[in-house]
Amino acid sequence: MTLYLFRLECLRMLRDPRYLALAVVAPIGFYLLFASLFGGAPAQPGELRDTVEIMVAMAAYGAIWGALSATGPRLAHERASGWLDQLRAMPVTARQLLTAKIAAGLTVALPALVLVCGTAVVAKDVRLEAWQWAVLMLAMWLGTLPFALLGVMVGMLVGPEAAFPLSYGLYMAASALGGLWVPPAHLSAPLLDVARTLPTYRLADLGWRIAAGHPPAVADVAVLAAWSAGLAALTVLVQGRRQGRLRRTRAGIAAAAPVG
Amino acid sequence: METAIALDRATKRFGGITAVDGLSLEIGRGSTVALLGANGAGKSTTVGMLMGLLQPDAGRVTVAGRPPRQAVAEGRIAAMLQDSGLMPGVTAAELVGLARRMYPAPLPTAEALELAGLRELAGRRVERMSGGQAQRLKFALVAVAGAQTMLLDEPTRALDVQGRREFWAAMRNCAAAGRTILFATHYLDEVEENADRVVVLARGRVAADGDPARIREAGGRAVVRFRRPADEALPALPGEVADERGWTTVRTCAPDDVVRRLAASDVAWSDLRVSPPSLDESFLALTTTASPLAEEARVR
Repeated sequence: MTLYLFRLECLRMLRDPRYLALAVVAPIGFYLLFASLFGGAPAQPGELRDTVEIMVAMAAYGAIWGALSATGPRLAHERASGWLDQLRAMPVTARQLLTAKIAAGLTVALPALVLVCGTAVVAKDVRLEAWQWAVLMLAMWLGTLPFALLGVMVGMLVGPEAAFPLSYGLYMAASALGGLWVPPAHLSAPLLDVARTLPTYRLADLGWRIAAGHPPAVADVAVLAAWSAGLAALTVLVQGRRQGRLRRTRAGIAAAAPVG
Repeated sequence: METAIALDRATKRFGGITAVDGLSLEIGRGSTVALLGANGAGKSTTVGMLMGLLQPDAGRVTVAGRPPRQAVAEGRIAAMLQDSGLMPGVTAAELVGLARRMYPAPLPTAEALELAGLRELAGRRVERMSGGQAQRLKFALVAVAGAQTMLLDEPTRALDVQGRREFWAAMRNCAAAGRTILFATHYLDEVEENADRVVVLARGRVAADGDPARIREAGGRAVVRFRRPADEALPALPGEVADERGWTTVRTCAPDDVVRRLAASDVAWSDLRVSPPSLDESFLALTTTASPLAEEARVR
């Protein structure tokens, strides 16, 4: 059942033109644009080629939106539409539901990773070792977990009208501050300090280091894991409080409605 | 008879409002029961408690002898809720397929869609469905469960006449398969043809409980109509007499007496007809405060 729900969650994302535009087409388009504008210079010793650096940044950029949009705005909408109420009357647990949702968030993050890298190989002649590709994909893919969890958080806390703009705003801000738009080498020192705390920067940095031939950095993994753990704990906390309150408020609304 | 649903002095309050007030009700396996009541009578709260979505403040609620949440988790009970929504972005068949996978003894997806009258719309996306189609899809989600007990909270809301007819035909199929069905409604005409027992709720309490014909008679007044020449005086008749366009209408609790007295009189009456109480009128009578008829109607 959870598997089938997961499948449906993925299917409805793939059928959503907004997802395809923002999480697949946009990062590929931006990659081609930026790689053509800034990708000419030969790499400095010890630095990545610009075409590779931008590839990793845009792959992260697309994957993040995939994970975030599959969870946040969807969940907020389902809460408001009554789909979650319908599910509460069915033999399915909140855990199964969230598992399917988060798994779907990770899955729909994958096309951006694969297609941006594929575009880099085909259009910009990017070449990495086979192990680098494998580790890069796997590490960056798992690295989108905090964003799926952030989406769950957003979806649980705000209404359907606010969820999309809030998700998108967080996404844009964290992408810009995290050095996905401007290479981190060009960020000022205070901004770089901010960037280092953000999962956006850490996800990209994870990729940059692997692309440079290094193993995944412990700091990157640690920051991403910390964000994931924090958001997961917060989710459990909110969910627990909500379940206690739900019984009272929601029913209260239902009972008060006919009276006025 | 084995008990499918039992409420024992169940009470649910929301702030200062007592939505369900010491409700006791037992429903045997395999019966089809209508929960009739005006808006705010406590129907949806009762359904919510039976699904374990609401916790009673007092009393006990069991489904198949278990706590409701357990019965839901075991797939013994399925409900069509009033304010529930559907998952957009998937087709009707996909959504019914999802529900199917949650239950231990489900119907085939195609059969549930057929029952709900959605065979032609199996491939339609949920968000492109009309209100009536979405309502049928919600029924398909319940039908596919193959659960022993089905709760339907105002199931025909948003359905047109044809849709309602098809819906009840489908529901009678489920009833014939031996399922226990409890449906909440405020459409009186739906009750008589589709339920073998009616529980009338008013202000969270049972106002009347019995088979539909009995409720009809207990609550309302029969109507005796006949023609008579305007210049002839009537004998004293028990009930409320009205004259209009040559027709006399008597609303009465004792139609037999009216007919007897009329027959014994010299009035040249003609075209006599006696109709049983209308359910609407019974319902109003039963749910009005302190109605003596309501007391009389407590047949169980």
